[in-house]
Amino acid sequence: MVTAELLAGLAAVLDWQVLAFLGAGVCLGAVFGALPGLTATMGVAVLTPLTFWVSPEQGLAMLLGIYCGAIPAGGIPAILINVPGTPASIATSWDGYALTRKGKAGLALGINALASAAGQLTSIAFLAFLAFPIASFALRFGPAEYFGLALLGISLMAGVSGDRVLQGMLAGSLGLALALVGLDPMTAYPRYTFGLSEFLDGISFVPVMIGLFGLGEVLSQVSERRARAKAARIEIGRVVPKAADAKSLLGSTLSGAGVGTMVGAIPAAGGDIGSVIAWEQARRTSKDKGQFGKGSLRGLAASCSACNAAIGGAMTTMLTLGIPGDAVSAILIGALLIHGIQPGPLLFANNQAFVFSIVFLLVFACLMIMAVGLLGARPLAKVLSVPPPLLWAGIIVFGTVGSYALNNAVADVWAMYAAGLVGFVFRRARIPLGPLVLGLILGPMMESNLRRALILSGGDWLALVARPIVAVFLAAAVLSIAWPWIRSRRSASRSNLGPPSSA
Amino acid sequence: MRAGRSVGVLSAGILLAACSAPQGPYPAREIKLIVQAAPGGTSDTVSRVMASLAESRLGVPIVCENRPGASGALAFSFVARRSPDGYTIGHAPVEIAIVRSLGYADIGPSDVSLICLVSKTAPALVVQADAPWLTFEEFITEAKGGSGGVVMANSGIGSIWHFNILLMEQGTGARFTHLPYGGSTPALVSVIGGHSDGAVAGVGEVVSHVQSGTLRALAVFDAERSSVLPDVPTTHELGYPIGTPAWSGFFGPAGIDEERVAQLADAFEVAFGSPEWAKLCRERGMQPLFLGREDFESFALQQQQFFEEQVPKLVRLGAP
Repeated sequence: MVTAELLAGLAAVLDWQVLAFLGAGVCLGAVFGALPGLTATMGVAVLTPLTFWVSPEQGLAMLLGIYCGAIPAGGIPAILINVPGTPASIATSWDGYALTRKGKAGLALGINALASAAGQLTSIAFLAFLAFPIASFALRFGPAEYFGLALLGISLMAGVSGDRVLQGMLAGSLGLALALVGLDPMTAYPRYTFGLSEFLDGISFVPVMIGLFGLGEVLSQVSERRARAKAARIEIGRVVPKAADAKSLLGSTLSGAGVGTMVGAIPAAGGDIGSVIAWEQARRTSKDKGQFGKGSLRGLAASCSACNAAIGGAMTTMLTLGIPGDAVSAILIGALLIHGIQPGPLLFANNQAFVFSIVFLLVFACLMIMAVGLLGARPLAKVLSVPPPLLWAGIIVFGTVGSYALNNAVADVWAMYAAGLVGFVFRRARIPLGPLVLGLILGPMMESNLRRALILSGGDWLALVARPIVAVFLAAAVLSIAWPWIRSRRSASRSNLGPPSSA
Repeated sequence: MRAGRSVGVLSAGILLAACSAPQGPYPAREIKLIVQAAPGGTSDTVSRVMASLAESRLGVPIVCENRPGASGALAFSFVARRSPDGYTIGHAPVEIAIVRSLGYADIGPSDVSLICLVSKTAPALVVQADAPWLTFEEFITEAKGGSGGVVMANSGIGSIWHFNILLMEQGTGARFTHLPYGGSTPALVSVIGGHSDGAVAGVGEVVSHVQSGTLRALAVFDAERSSVLPDVPTTHELGYPIGTPAWSGFFGPAGIDEERVAQLADAFEVAFGSPEWAKLCRERGMQPLFLGREDFESFALQQQQFFEEQVPKLVRLGAP
């Protein structure tokens, strides 16, 4: 029975027109993903109406192609110019750009393509075999669990700050403070809006990201130009990692895929959070912690893998429950409904062939974008040989246009410029930017869900901790903040007092 | 890509605006339709489908542009500030009658040229599919007995579905604990996951979950039964005449030439009669309803008055 459905699903996909639409989607997605300001969500949303006039398989192939193409492509500008193409690729920029500065841009792009594909394929395997257990786990996420997840994410601020923990915490607090701007999530009272309607929805995250990383980097390079007058020779290096390297990356890639799938399956949590958690997890379990953020291959593999695994996670929740796992799958549900397909538990029971054809479409899309990523690595890395002034101008133009295009709002362009200045000042003062971004992304999630959880528990704080998933998250958060301190105490006691008599 | 295009369109628009005389055949060039919500949602789909259907009647392209934010207040104010030449119009959802009462922007139906109304969406009360309450009455009884023990997820304070929950409290004497979310989807997910007991959202938003067996609809807040949920009783037949719908229409800046408004309304009426529109309404659980300019005006002003009266009574904005 199942094999018949499986073959029927495969047959529906193995049609040259469907594959052509898939390929077109992947290429379009790569463009949307690689241009900062244009996101996967926007690509899928804008092209959904176009799919009304083709068959459901063709339309779906195109939309899934965009989705699968955009996320790995978002890592490309993150690696080459330190500007994440989509919010999911923030963690990719930490190690990826460091590798580029070391003349290993080719290798970074190669790992991005391979680890992204590995992450996506792993998560698709989870979708094919464990869809219902994952979905029921995702449904258990109530306000208290979201609060725990957000708090865990925020506690990673210390980890992503490298050796500048105090400054990182400062930046993180600024991010949390900025996250307070806008309508109060529980009472709809305007906070810090200065009477401007533009501030009612809070500070848009994507323009801030473009400003902090893109414009901030440009300004700091301009100001350092004199010091680095003899521009470093541009090296691309090898693209495909050596067999030994690849083997050592397998562990962090797979654990990244696991984290990414689970976080992606939870509604309203996606690749951006997943990849940061995966990066920190890889760092903590690694022997060369000092390398993370300075060009660690493992850190890069974990973050690339996780942000792509979130796709399979989000699709799992969408197909099994009819609930969007992220913004893109929300739009995909609308597109499926238009074609008369109802995602939900009944889809798995009544139309298994269709589920399998989605699985195969995802697999093919994933292989296509991997090929694009590997073949495109060298030509794309040529962007580095563009004279810096031209590259800077290009980043500023694309950043400005991209910030405006997001909501067609001039306020977002100003936010991008302001964030650019902040990014520049922070770079000069050697204050890490990662925590600021974490605070800005996770602040609203933490605040609104804490307050929802307290409404549900009648103001009882202890009731939050009594839930098992929350307790695990909170324990991990405490550990992640206390760990550097515990470790330094342990090593101090060892060096001062000799071997401790008891653990 | 889109941005590049809209920049091009903008500059072309400025050039044309500078050259063309105010009197002349209308429409002579592309019309811009401002959508107050992000791409992908109901407002966006309604606008894009209507735009593509009305284009052929007008003979010029209608290009949609999304300007989300502040419950639509940003888009309403943006359109209201354009020149009233009929080349910039906007999608008018029920929020255009609410944002002033909420204090988001000083704009309402009386400050713009209304064109026509094309659809209405009734609210529906849903609970988890295996919840103990099988009827509206049972749910209300539970909510009356407990002291705020029944948790209602809403799609945000001041949203149209939140008002309907408040009207339900007012009309039935039930008392709920309100759990605000940032939209209908997370509110419904919260009910499906068993984190809250019930929610009110548009019929079109709940129908897929009801059909796939994760949610149960207890009542539709309307006078007539919904065509997509025909087995679900209405509040009116249950003896509680409560509920206020969401709707979709179109508007432009105040002072558009009456003939141009009539031309636009005519094009949208032709689009309204198409099978594509009927199909979209069926899929999205919207009730197709066409009101021409005058009828839409009196309906929208009535709605504005309703919310001006109700908002201060229902929502204590900013109160802890």
